[in-house]
Amino acid sequence: MIENFLAGSSALFGDPFTIGIFVFGVIGGMLFGAIPGVSMLTLAAILLPFTAGLEPAQGVMLFAVIYCTGTYGGAITAILFNIPGSAENAPTAFDGYPMTQKGQSGKAVGAAVLCSAIGGMASALVMMTATEPLANWAIRNIGPPEIFALVFFGLAVASTVGARTIWKGWMSVLIGLLIATIGQDPVGGINRYNFGLTDLAAGIAFVPAILGFFAVSEIFVQAEKKASGKYKAPKVSMTFPSFLELWMHKIAVFRSIIVGFFCGILPGIGATLAAFMSYGEAVRWSKKKEEFGKGKLEGVISAETANNAATGAAMIPLLALGLPGGALTAMMVAVFQMHDLQPGPLVFMLSPDLIWIVFAAMFYANLSILLIGVLETKTILNLLKIPFQFLAPLILMLATTGAYISRGLVLDVMIMFAAGIIGYLLRRTGFSIPAIVLGLILGKIGEQNFAQGMQMVHYDIGTYFSRPICTVLIAAGAITLLSSIYRAFTSAKTAE
Amino acid sequence: MKKFLGTVALTTAILASGAANAFECKRSEASFDKPGGFPERALTMIVPYGPAGGSGQVAAAMAEAVTGLTGIPINRDHKPGGSGTVGMTAYMAAPADGYNVLEHIDDASSAHALDSSLPNPAEDLIPLVVSQVTFSQIYIRTNETRFTDWPSFVEWVKAQNGKATIANVSKEGSMERVTMGFITDAAGMEIQQISFDKGAPRYGALLGGQVDALFEQPGDVRNFLDAKQFKPILTIFDERPGAFADTPTHREVGMDFDPLLRFRGFYVHADAPADRVEWLKWAFQRGYCQDSYQAFNESKFMTVIDSYRETEGAKDLINRSIDQYRNVYKAMGLDVK
Repeated sequence: MIENFLAGSSALFGDPFTIGIFVFGVIGGMLFGAIPGVSMLTLAAILLPFTAGLEPAQGVMLFAVIYCTGTYGGAITAILFNIPGSAENAPTAFDGYPMTQKGQSGKAVGAAVLCSAIGGMASALVMMTATEPLANWAIRNIGPPEIFALVFFGLAVASTVGARTIWKGWMSVLIGLLIATIGQDPVGGINRYNFGLTDLAAGIAFVPAILGFFAVSEIFVQAEKKASGKYKAPKVSMTFPSFLELWMHKIAVFRSIIVGFFCGILPGIGATLAAFMSYGEAVRWSKKKEEFGKGKLEGVISAETANNAATGAAMIPLLALGLPGGALTAMMVAVFQMHDLQPGPLVFMLSPDLIWIVFAAMFYANLSILLIGVLETKTILNLLKIPFQFLAPLILMLATTGAYISRGLVLDVMIMFAAGIIGYLLRRTGFSIPAIVLGLILGKIGEQNFAQGMQMVHYDIGTYFSRPICTVLIAAGAITLLSSIYRAFTSAKTAE
Repeated sequence: MKKFLGTVALTTAILASGAANAFECKRSEASFDKPGGFPERALTMIVPYGPAGGSGQVAAAMAEAVTGLTGIPINRDHKPGGSGTVGMTAYMAAPADGYNVLEHIDDASSAHALDSSLPNPAEDLIPLVVSQVTFSQIYIRTNETRFTDWPSFVEWVKAQNGKATIANVSKEGSMERVTMGFITDAAGMEIQQISFDKGAPRYGALLGGQVDALFEQPGDVRNFLDAKQFKPILTIFDERPGAFADTPTHREVGMDFDPLLRFRGFYVHADAPADRVEWLKWAFQRGYCQDSYQAFNESKFMTVIDSYRETEGAKDLINRSIDQYRNVYKAMGLDVK
């Protein structure tokens, strides 16, 4: 393996043009990942026709690098301005933005940079060592029933994030789940709650909903404070997390790598579920659950480690089996095909050089996050010095543009503002925005897999429990759920 | 080594079939005068699906071919969702000035068949060209031991009493669901259809043994065929295509129904200026003949049968599909509006 890795590194850095493509991918991915509305997918779609003129290894490598750095890019805006660049960065905002408000922006950004790099590099290393066996294990053992069970397990802790009471937490999750049912049902294609609007048949898109719930509602909250004279500009902090602080979170990092990798390896799942699941696991295993959603470093660490850990993992089913895990890896299939190649078992046999250049590039792209992240962070943090009266319109303009250009629908802008107003009102009354977003994102994935799973078990719910992984996850989720309800009752009695 | 030899054999068979269906460009004019200077700026192509899927790829390939031919850039605007209805609605609301074109698939025809208030692609739009026409097949894993061909598959499915499963896109009224209805009725078997809207989980379900069979078009699973991981056991087409000479057709195994085809094409508003429509027809029909587009179609198994329909041929294909779907929907008891 080491020999192959060195050969891949040598091929990557032995040619100035290939180095140029690598650097372009690193910077382009970060930029497009950071701007809301556009994403690494936008950049990939723009670049796709041009890859025909590149060597196959250069084309695939470029996309792999964009995938790694684009997944990290959205963390910065999520932390500083409550604007997640894309859905997989939304859990980063849960605690990252409150940390900024508490004057700990440097710590949050520093942790995001470091943990993205660690998560990405760890998954790249696992990808290099065990691509084929892992891919085969995943497709044989994880089907729709297991993915639904995983989502149920993740949702079971969602109520504890950021709400004033556990009941409001559960109400928030249910609101998210309800929003997720808008649009065509994922299996039968029947319209639900679209009120005759064709554009709503596609459901509520993640990007405008997230921008509304996070960025727009936050501007309303801050504007209210400004109007009532209670506004305090966040302090700009350049303090990075200390080695000791990071070392104290070593278990969270390790757990997030496993969760991220596991979610990433499942075809069609990827980094978004990884970030949300990892955040949920951080809450589940914490002794101070109530601190999540209010500026806890572990929240940022868990989300950012996991979403980058999912990038290397998502390459495993793509390269070993030809199964793309998401839209960007699906575009990589097109890059392969442009060069008369097909990802899958044959590519290991017919094009080993290409595979190892890609593996090496992904490792170094994650390393670049660390280097560039440290260099850029101190400059970026100064953005917080912009006065609110200038920053708020800028954020609104960015968010509006982002909501519109993701699908080019005015409806998405309306959804964003509606989510902003609803989010503002719910926050005032103690509901949890992170729990709503968890319900919305996990709800869509969960419903689809539940329906598919029910078809697979012939609508016999008992058969779900004949699948061991499914049984363990559902039982663990149910225990978490029941214990949280028990705690809610006992704390209510104590209060009386 | 066996896999490699298998790939070589399959590729040879495909090339041989390609040679049998030697390509001949049916749009003879190498150039076409721009009417009144049209187009003097980039065209916009609305694509009602994401960039990574079959529609996204064919839209990119055709845009590249037309731009290569005419020098006119084409901006692709992806509006996914609602089984193509979101993109169709956006297109119908766009100015009918010839600068906006639409990519769509046979779903537009089946949607109109079920609900006539939705646009009819043969009347409310003008087909510029249909550039991909393909048939469906049923696949099993190559290393499957419980059954190895269509007769043994049917026998095994019947023995499972409805517990056997097949992965497809089984949304209400979809081509896949309707065709599976024909097949199960004709074969007298019951099989549970599992609906996966994305390709990767669908193919992964068969590879990993989560389902017993897969309903798909050959171009979408070509890499699995090349790698000898999947093998077709039934072709749903009137005759055996050369590349699948060993696979029986549905008619050969005693099923008597007209196969529903998957097709992708390009359209313009019916009320767009006529001279602009003529130019667009030339550009897209000639774009089909470009080497880059032909190479793309070949890579997608789209040269196995004739994929080309000019405007009138496309209208005929669409109208026949609408009639066929409407009859089927009525027979299924669906509420045809």
